[in-house]
Amino acid sequence: MSRTLGALLLFTVAGWAQAQTTPEALDWLRKIYRATEKLSYTGTFVYQQGDRSETSRIARLAGASGGTEKLEVLDGTPREILRTRDEIRCYLPESRTVKVDRRSDPRAFPAVLPEQVGSLTEHYVVAMGETRRIAGFDCQAIVLTPKDDLRYGYKLWADARSGMLLKARTFDRNGITMEQFTFTHLEIGSVPRERLRPPRTAQGWRVEQAGVAPADLSLAGWSVGAELPGFRKIVEIRRMLRDTQPVAQMVYSDGLAAVSVFIEPITGRVEAPRIGIASMGAVNVYTREVANHLVTVVGEAPAASVQRIGNTVEYHRPQ
Amino acid sequence: MKAKISALMDGELDAQELSEPLAALGRDVDAFETWRTYHLISDALQGRAMLANDCLRRVVARLAEEPVLVGPLPADVARPERARWFVPSALAASVAAVTLVGWMAFAPQEKAAPLLAPVAQVPQPAAVVAAARAAKDAPARLPMTAATRDYLIAHQAFSPRNSLQGMAPYVRSVAAESAPVKP
Repeated sequence: MSRTLGALLLFTVAGWAQAQTTPEALDWLRKIYRATEKLSYTGTFVYQQGDRSETSRIARLAGASGGTEKLEVLDGTPREILRTRDEIRCYLPESRTVKVDRRSDPRAFPAVLPEQVGSLTEHYVVAMGETRRIAGFDCQAIVLTPKDDLRYGYKLWADARSGMLLKARTFDRNGITMEQFTFTHLEIGSVPRERLRPPRTAQGWRVEQAGVAPADLSLAGWSVGAELPGFRKIVEIRRMLRDTQPVAQMVYSDGLAAVSVFIEPITGRVEAPRIGIASMGAVNVYTREVANHLVTVVGEAPAASVQRIGNTVEYHRPQ
Repeated sequence: MKAKISALMDGELDAQELSEPLAALGRDVDAFETWRTYHLISDALQGRAMLANDCLRRVVARLAEEPVLVGPLPADVARPERARWFVPSALAASVAAVTLVGWMAFAPQEKAAPLLAPVAQVPQPAAVVAAARAAKDAPARLPMTAATRDYLIAHQAFSPRNSLQGMAPYVRSVAAESAPVKP
């Protein structure tokens, strides 16, 4: 029994060691990034996590100014999100709220350029997968396997002709699917502008502005120690989350996964904060209290990584 | 791997050679058992008082209480003389191990497997400390609420996934609170 297990382990380890990044797979990855940026399309996709699934409609009109995109959730309440180069608007009918995140400085929203794809190989092995037909498109699979347990792995299926991403699966170190996006219908080509209009019902809804501004948290006495290997700080801002006090946000990323650290005073909150970890698909949210502040860490990374970043947040009274 | 673990014990590895056996110790139960067995052999051969049955557990408990960075010294740090006693001959090691394990089998001993958990999850010494600290106060499992959504929307704007996948990942930030549809 244990001998079989040992042989199996050896086999797995050998298989792991042999997997290597190939230039062909990296080219494919660049092709996907370019397609995401250049293509106009409309389609329907299913988001799956655990035993839950939700269907949404998506439309994108490419343009010189970065394009316009719209996402409509088709199941349950009709939530919608509109994105332009300068702004993201979330329409939430339950609370009759529009959340607006204006990008005063587009540089603060870093985009991954196809030329930067090579640096992903520091933390992921990028290899070719099988070919398969998805929603009528002949697709090529690309597999990104993480080199450590700090991040998830990804399997991407892209249209062999255009490079458009038809399916994306996130998996943990045991190969278990954390979440999956799959197009069930997709049309690539020109998109009528009326498909990208904001919902008419949203008139009179409350508008919440994020009011993003640059910030330096170290001046205020905050530090995030011993950052996760491979995760660099890419953003440090203050913003509004609701109509309350401003919240500090720092974002760390390895080029594919990202983790945000939010810090806000506990005083003035209506209800006592709940300390612990919440998960949805590949997203983990860890909440803890530091120096009478609420620290919330949100990441598309394993719970242990999100928690590890959260546990290094410290406050020292500035001198 | 056994030879590497032996070299690690003897402090014979360079700083850059450390990561592989350390990662194996965190990941691979067999490697960890080897590490443990070699230490038992070392203690037995040097006539030191035998390691108490629950020594490992006590060390892990102490680590959890006192998060101090622990790890093998790099090779360029002056090595204590005792490191030389153990000749890493695979044959000698196996013979000794078999003898010792055979003898140990009669000693009253608790199963070691559950004790591995806090150490086995993470490869780096710093991570061992973090995991030990985390294990002490394992966080409560919380549901995703509408309040969490605010953070998800704020986070998603900065996710590099947008460059790869367009707007689709945003669907998570506006996900319904209750399970919408069963597939």
